[in-house]
Amino acid sequence: MFSQNLLRTRTGEGSAATFFLTPAVLLLATFLISPFVMSIVFSLTDARLISPLPTEFIGLRNYQRLFSDSSFWQAFRNTFTFAAIVVPVQSALALFLATLIKQRLRGINIFRGIYFMPVVINMVVVCVMWYFLLLYPEGLVNSIVQTVTFGRVGPLSFFDNPALAFPMIMVISIWQGVGFQMVIYLAGLQGIPTEFYEAARVDGASSWQQFWHITMPSLRNTHIFVIVTTTILAFKLFTQVQVLTQGRPLGTTNTLVRYIFVAGYREMRVGYAAAASVIFLLVVLTISLIQRRLLTEEREVR
Amino acid sequence: MRKLLAALLLIGAVGLWAWADAVEIEVWWHTGKPEELAVMTAQIEEFNERHAGEIRARLVSIPEGDYTDEMRAAALANALPDVAILDGPTLASFVWGGYLQPLDGYISDELLDDLLPSVVDQGTYPPDGKIYAVGSFDSGLAMWGNREYLEEAGVRIPEGVDDAWTMDEFNDALRKLAELPDVRWPLDLKLNYGADEWLPYGFSPIMQSFGGDLINRDTWQAAGTMDGIESVLAMTLFQYWIDEGWVVPAGRGDDAFYGDAREAALAYVGHWMWEPHNEGLGDDLVLLPVPQFGAHHVTGMGSYAWSMPAGTDYPDEAWTFIEFLLEPEEILRITDANGAVPSRISAIGMSDLYGPGAPLELFAQQLETIAVERPVHPVYPVISTAFIDAALNIIDGADVRQELERAARRIDEDIEDNRGYPPFGD
Amino acid sequence: MRRRIGVGLRYAVLIAFALMFLAPVIAMVSTSFTGNERVIQRDLDNIRVFWPSPLATTNYDEVVTGRVIGGAPFTRYLANTVLIVGSIVILGVFVNSMAAFALARLRFRGRGILVAVVVALIIIPFEGVAVPMLLMVNRFGWLNSFHVQIVPFIAHPFSIFLFYQFFPRLPKEFDEAAKVDGASWWQVYRKIVLPISLPVIATVVILQSLEYWTSFLWPLMVTRGADYAPLSVAMNHFFGTPPRRWGQIMAFASLTALPLLLVYLGFQRWFIQSAAQSGVKG
Repeated sequence: MFSQNLLRTRTGEGSAATFFLTPAVLLLATFLISPFVMSIVFSLTDARLISPLPTEFIGLRNYQRLFSDSSFWQAFRNTFTFAAIVVPVQSALALFLATLIKQRLRGINIFRGIYFMPVVINMVVVCVMWYFLLLYPEGLVNSIVQTVTFGRVGPLSFFDNPALAFPMIMVISIWQGVGFQMVIYLAGLQGIPTEFYEAARVDGASSWQQFWHITMPSLRNTHIFVIVTTTILAFKLFTQVQVLTQGRPLGTTNTLVRYIFVAGYREMRVGYAAAASVIFLLVVLTISLIQRRLLTEEREVR
Repeated sequence: MRKLLAALLLIGAVGLWAWADAVEIEVWWHTGKPEELAVMTAQIEEFNERHAGEIRARLVSIPEGDYTDEMRAAALANALPDVAILDGPTLASFVWGGYLQPLDGYISDELLDDLLPSVVDQGTYPPDGKIYAVGSFDSGLAMWGNREYLEEAGVRIPEGVDDAWTMDEFNDALRKLAELPDVRWPLDLKLNYGADEWLPYGFSPIMQSFGGDLINRDTWQAAGTMDGIESVLAMTLFQYWIDEGWVVPAGRGDDAFYGDAREAALAYVGHWMWEPHNEGLGDDLVLLPVPQFGAHHVTGMGSYAWSMPAGTDYPDEAWTFIEFLLEPEEILRITDANGAVPSRISAIGMSDLYGPGAPLELFAQQLETIAVERPVHPVYPVISTAFIDAALNIIDGADVRQELERAARRIDEDIEDNRGYPPFGD
Repeated sequence: MRRRIGVGLRYAVLIAFALMFLAPVIAMVSTSFTGNERVIQRDLDNIRVFWPSPLATTNYDEVVTGRVIGGAPFTRYLANTVLIVGSIVILGVFVNSMAAFALARLRFRGRGILVAVVVALIIIPFEGVAVPMLLMVNRFGWLNSFHVQIVPFIAHPFSIFLFYQFFPRLPKEFDEAAKVDGASWWQVYRKIVLPISLPVIATVVILQSLEYWTSFLWPLMVTRGADYAPLSVAMNHFFGTPPRRWGQIMAFASLTALPLLLVYLGFQRWFIQSAAQSGVKG
């Protein structure tokens, strides 16, 4: 299968390294690095998915069109709005759930298991089950809304209403994903020495003060990690939108990734979609670099 | 680990295993009404019986809303079947991409002479003049009415194509019908079809009636036509009906007009609803010509037609199947179920639905006089998606002009990207 | 007394959240076991949506044996998904751990740069390269196949990184001992390093399974019909095809969720540790 000689430990480690690295390096070069480079190159061409015509360089035409397309900017804004709301809400809820789960109570592991469970459910299934509860006009959520408001509100057509569709997608996304961040926070919480709290209690600090002065600062790295990973996940929003609304109503639920999908796949405009991809990559890479920066600073401080 | 791997391989192998003694041809079909599908299924069975041991046709039914997307994706993946029905206006783009083979060598002169000219025109690719698709029928688009409601509201019932309602008359009728206690919505525009080819099929005739269109058919530019004042007016009228609360909302489902509750008084839709309408309303059903909204009187046309992808391994068997479906008796079976106009003159002669005085005579009359085809150009798929997106937003209350401008720009950008789709630009 | 109220209150909060996470799942499962579509429509808007009646498995019969979507039953898509995710994960464990082994335990020129490159690649989101990749695999003639859904995802920078962080913790003396014994590097990797790396293998397996079991954008672009499509695409297709029969849709949905839920029930601790692991060093 492979040369035993090459892998003899006494022979150079370099040739062994070549053997161990080749599969991964080849695959990464082909399926990650080259599409990445192709995004940039194609964004300057009129490449199409199927066309008998040869591809030509067209300079910055794709970018000019992209920037003058109001639905691109709408998708861009929507994506940021989604992140701006979901990230803090989901992180805060995850931290709250983590503190709940950290309590020493009988059967607490069962609750931990339940809170984490949506994470392992296929996102399309999650969308389907929520759609069922949110059906118009006769879904369960609608009847709850009507009962609670004594019939003054509703029935609401959640996914046809420009003011409600996106918030609903946010709720569904948080419901599915919060368990993951909860577990990360839980690990962070468990890393805080209990002596800190004991010392604080001796000083007469209330639990609220303990939370703000011990828990929150100790979790700094966890916060950064949770916030950044959740932000990047939020920027990738696609499945929920594609399954539930296809960007409707009035483009209020359209996102960058769906914009890329529609241009590159449905309309087969590879060059144009590549330009949108480059913008998307720039946004995500910038956020990641900021994260790295924050984490390095933290290390230097310590 | 090894066991697991073996199990996985086994699962894969089972999936790839397929039996074949007769030549199997895969046939793609769009799922429309259940009545239509039932006939199609029966036809497949009969064909398979007739050719037992030689050819076996396997029907793959794809939801109508996804059909053209699926076809395009399959073309890309080289996964087109042996026989595929396709929507007439998308023909040019598939031929331009090289995905279909001409049928000229297969079609007998006898068949060719017997086909409706509109069916031949629709299946012909202008640059090479060859036929790439033949349909079993052509479509008809009209206004279906509930006679009881129309009489109760005192609305004039037009007798034929010549005395169709004008825009004023039509709006007035909607207003009167809306006031009837049993009518929840006077008009069903089939918004429940969603993001579908229905939108350009059903509503570009209104634009054309005002003098607008989806694209300028001389210069092949959309700007100035799709977003010209005539088109904007037409779609503003469309939005007005919705804003007034006259139109059945998408969420209501399909049967507001023909269901037991009879919540709608008029249904603007094509021939394919003949069966359910006839069953649901019986003697109360009345077929009316498309209203003349603007200066011109226009209705839609064009329908699904059978084609043979270039990649099929069994062209002869595939043609045998298409030829079977084009036998006059088979044409009549499907058109009796969906109410479409048969594609063969001999079949029309045998039809109980289209002769003088027959219930659907009007469709044939409209096709002869006021039907306009959708643009035969490879850019049509983009026209279609751009217009669908615009129309959906207009339904949701967006600014009409802005939406049509955006659609026009998308189309023109695509044409520019394809350098005018040679040889079309020349 | 006060303490008891406190405990009661804590449980109340815990249970309230548990219900929020469970309710949609219960509604899905109970609807899937309700045999009568009319009853489903009737009970949509009240508490009975959480209770199957009349209790029947007809929806499951239909979904498992009938050709409900794309001319194929649920099992076809399940087999596709298991094959795809299984292949990615199994091949991925080898490819990624091998690369990490070289980066962590072998000395060669350019090692530092390679580590930096792998770490940099972690942040490239797949969504940003999907369209050029689509064009590429189309040129390869790979569309509508299993391998188009497997090969691009075998090498996984984050998995390499997880292995890379784990391997140095193993004592270097192992390698020395093996060397004296005349073992090859492959034997060191295969016989010594891999067997004691089970915790990190489990983490990688779980994180990748979660990621690819639910993957949607890529299979939506590269598969057609039933031959190669995974469950998420079939589920979306089934959900999007009118008329909606909720009993069958929910049976399909329940079955789609079930395999991973079962594995989760069996290995809950591992799942939660893996999730936590992903955050510790990221």
